[in-house]
Amino acid sequence: MNALRLRAGLWLLLALGVLIAGATQFAGGRVRLQTNLLALLPPTERNPLAEQAVTRLADAAGDRVVFLIGQRSPSAAAAAARQFAQQLRQSGIFRQVVAEIPAFDPKQLTALYQPYRFNLLSEEDRVELSSGQVDLAGRLQRKLYAPFRFGLALAVADDPFGLADDWLASLPLKNLRLAPQDGLLVTRGAGQSWVFVSAELPGSAYESAIQRQVGQAVAQAESAVHDLDREASVLRSGTVFYAAAARASAEREVDLIGAGSLIGMLALLYLVFRSLRPLALGLLSVGFGIAAALVATVWVFGQIHLITLVFGASLIGEAIDYAVQYFAAHLGAGADWEAQAGLRRIAPGLTLALATSLLGYGALLLAPFPALSQIAWFALVGLSAAWLSVFLLLPALLASPNRRDPQTAVALPQHLLRWWQTHLTRRRCVALAALLLVLAAPGWLQLQGNDDVRLLVARPPALVAQEEQIRELTGMGNSSQFFLIDGNTAEALLANAEKLAGRLDALVAQGELTGYQSLSTFVPSAQRQVQNRALWLQKVFADPAELRRVLADAGLRDEIADQQLASFDAAQNSRLTLADWLQAPISTPYRHLWLGPNENGFAAVVLPQGVRDVTRLGDAAASLADVTLVDKAGNVSRLFRSYRQWGAGWLLAALALVYGLLCLRYGPRQGAVVLTPTLLAIALALGVLGYLKAPLTLFNMMGLMLVLGVGVNYAIFLREGGVRAAATLAGVLLSAGTTLLSFGLLAFSSMPALAGFGLTLLIGVGIAVLLAPMVLSFSAQENA
Amino acid sequence: MSVLKAIVRLLLVATLAALTPLHAAETNTLARIGAQLEQHAVIRAEFTQRKQMAAMKRPLLTSGRLVLSRQHGVLWQIEQPLRISYVLGEERIVEIGADGARRERGVRDVPGLAQVSRVFRAMLGADSAALREQFDAAAHGDPAQWEIILTPRNAQLAQFLTRLQLSGGRFVSDISIVEAGGDTTQINFHHTQGSNALSDTELQLFGVDQTPSAKPAGTR
Repeated sequence: MNALRLRAGLWLLLALGVLIAGATQFAGGRVRLQTNLLALLPPTERNPLAEQAVTRLADAAGDRVVFLIGQRSPSAAAAAARQFAQQLRQSGIFRQVVAEIPAFDPKQLTALYQPYRFNLLSEEDRVELSSGQVDLAGRLQRKLYAPFRFGLALAVADDPFGLADDWLASLPLKNLRLAPQDGLLVTRGAGQSWVFVSAELPGSAYESAIQRQVGQAVAQAESAVHDLDREASVLRSGTVFYAAAARASAEREVDLIGAGSLIGMLALLYLVFRSLRPLALGLLSVGFGIAAALVATVWVFGQIHLITLVFGASLIGEAIDYAVQYFAAHLGAGADWEAQAGLRRIAPGLTLALATSLLGYGALLLAPFPALSQIAWFALVGLSAAWLSVFLLLPALLASPNRRDPQTAVALPQHLLRWWQTHLTRRRCVALAALLLVLAAPGWLQLQGNDDVRLLVARPPALVAQEEQIRELTGMGNSSQFFLIDGNTAEALLANAEKLAGRLDALVAQGELTGYQSLSTFVPSAQRQVQNRALWLQKVFADPAELRRVLADAGLRDEIADQQLASFDAAQNSRLTLADWLQAPISTPYRHLWLGPNENGFAAVVLPQGVRDVTRLGDAAASLADVTLVDKAGNVSRLFRSYRQWGAGWLLAALALVYGLLCLRYGPRQGAVVLTPTLLAIALALGVLGYLKAPLTLFNMMGLMLVLGVGVNYAIFLREGGVRAAATLAGVLLSAGTTLLSFGLLAFSSMPALAGFGLTLLIGVGIAVLLAPMVLSFSAQENA
Repeated sequence: MSVLKAIVRLLLVATLAALTPLHAAETNTLARIGAQLEQHAVIRAEFTQRKQMAAMKRPLLTSGRLVLSRQHGVLWQIEQPLRISYVLGEERIVEIGADGARRERGVRDVPGLAQVSRVFRAMLGADSAALREQFDAAAHGDPAQWEIILTPRNAQLAQFLTRLQLSGGRFVSDISIVEAGGDTTQINFHHTQGSNALSDTELQLFGVDQTPSAKPAGTR
């Protein structure tokens, strides 16, 4: 008795420790619910600069929200947009709300480039000038007689042949469909006029306070717009909306799965044991397990991701298993119960069961992938703590024998057991197994892998539709690929960017890209500027007399030719530098392209737009030494795929390991018997997934590993049950019931990864428990 | 500097001014002028243009034909002193040389070009609502004999343009542009006629596909 009390005391101390640790974490504000997908992904880039660039671009994009306010009438759309922006500003939450655009002063642009115009040439003109004689008279006529200019233009006296005009027109100032109108950025589409409004968040889109405030402010602004104009519509896009939706749905799911598992578990426990004591003890043991897991996760990872939390809620059903086995033994023993002897009898089974589960999760812990290792760590600690509770706490609190008649309590499982034993002979078991495998085989052939990174995010269809519409209306790309350009000097960097630009221009011409943003399109390298000036000299200023004649023939004043010649000579040594451009206000919208100096020199990004085939981008970067294509989403998908394949290998290895463990206790023959139901469950689950056309993902593989961990438990428990088989089967059925309930609920998660994981477990564990009594058919006859 | 060049410049400049209401009477006059021009699906005219530029020794004289289609856009055909045509559509702008060679550009590729198309048509069709997005308008006269004076609504616009003046009766007859730099442009339209449909040659210049089953008719 004293030993029991000592153990219970130890448990209390541990529980107190967990409580205090949890309270300090909570008080210290260290319990952060992480909703950022990037935080879950493993580093994929070999180049640390690339990883840094990914984070920087993601942050820059994540801190912004974008709206389009639409109405059929342009003036009503403008009024609604102003009202909307005003409301957002009044909320005081946003760092900045932009609707009225700062006046774009074309003189700023012409003033920046005009002094350097003899170093500049558009790509088209460069080809024209270098390939042959240029029709200067024709170009001058076109400049004089055109009823309109294609974009910005210098005065005739400054650029008689329109070469500088062509350079200005080639600047990618206008990759978007938005156009300034009445002080707002406007686009037309779907029979409406749409006004662009953007806002900058005061902090990270992943902070819950910011998500809540932004949600409220936007809802208020939206209702204010609707009060003003019933017909106006508002489209939104931004990381913060996705993150808020993910958080809300995760919280809903934690509630649903947690409450569903708990209530279902308690109901099942009561149904079998008809006593409140197992309920209370089960709750204590599971509660201790989950609390310990939470504290340990926050302690190790510094935060907890919502995917872990949703998964954690479903762990309840698995953590209760150990306590259930104890209760079952208690029930089966009836009046003969003696706590320590009872525990001794079930201890090997429980420990073996824990060991197999730990093997399953332990494999995930080793994966260099934060999402998986966090889930694995959570499960390892939670299950171990729940297991420990059974040893430390339960014997002390469930010492007195059960008053319920064991025979009536286990009548149903007893009945089932008899049925199994009479109907399922060894031969029939083998036949059944063969039949099931034959049925499953066609399903295997229909299995298809899916390694999309978006498996990890719940994407509400309404938000996706709005984002699509905004992309369509504004022409804003969302490709996640970009090129990283390195250079020892700014000049080398620009030269590298120009080499890439040449290849990208070819892709644009082939329709593989709609365009790209690169520093080199705004500032040519010094080397390119020298080449351009040489072309100007050769084709425009080589023969001053000819120049004078062309200008005079068109009716221009005589002094203009002299001015041109003088300006050209005066500009001989002037070069436009990246520093000049970065200082000019017009570079502001493009500063994100410039990553600045680092230990190896300088770095910049080039953003492709409207990408059709990523492999063509890879080809473009290939063989350019200082150009790297960074494709985070693609790399993560590739990583998912390799993990999925690696997972299949590990599953086989784990099967071998578990078999080894089973052999240690049961010998090779009976070990195989104990493993068989689980093996069948895994094979059948794969078949069912194939039939359901559910994609085979990394997370399904994780699910299969758990089917192994959990499924084997049932067989072990039954094998260990021996003479009290009926009570054990009651326990196994109960365990399976709670597990199926919680993982079954997980199958309805909005997060595709978790839903796939839950579905796999639902199918696999369901089959494993149905087939587990096979063990008895073999062992009973062997024992007999 | 040409008429449209000035306008393109204006349009590239974002305006910050708020909408200022016109006097009811002027709004009325402008609306009636617009309405009488809108009756025609197609308007054809001959034009002569006189540009006075600081860089030139003498004024630049141009003449040619204008076709304004409410469905397809504007065709600006210069016949003297050289042959060159421009098609200004909703989606693209085409320059057609004397030899018939077409140089096309999507209006989306170049900043502000989409609006140029709208405002150019608004100016030739005296569409006051579109013009008032960028200009303050003062109207005199009646639909038989009228004059509209447009002044840029903010300093940014005024950097390039001092005044835009339209006058006419049933159709626009004169356009006058005074640029801030002192260059001026006068366009006179004559032999203006309304019509229901474009000719086959014109359709071809507009780049409209002419299949016998789906021959585009003028709107209304």
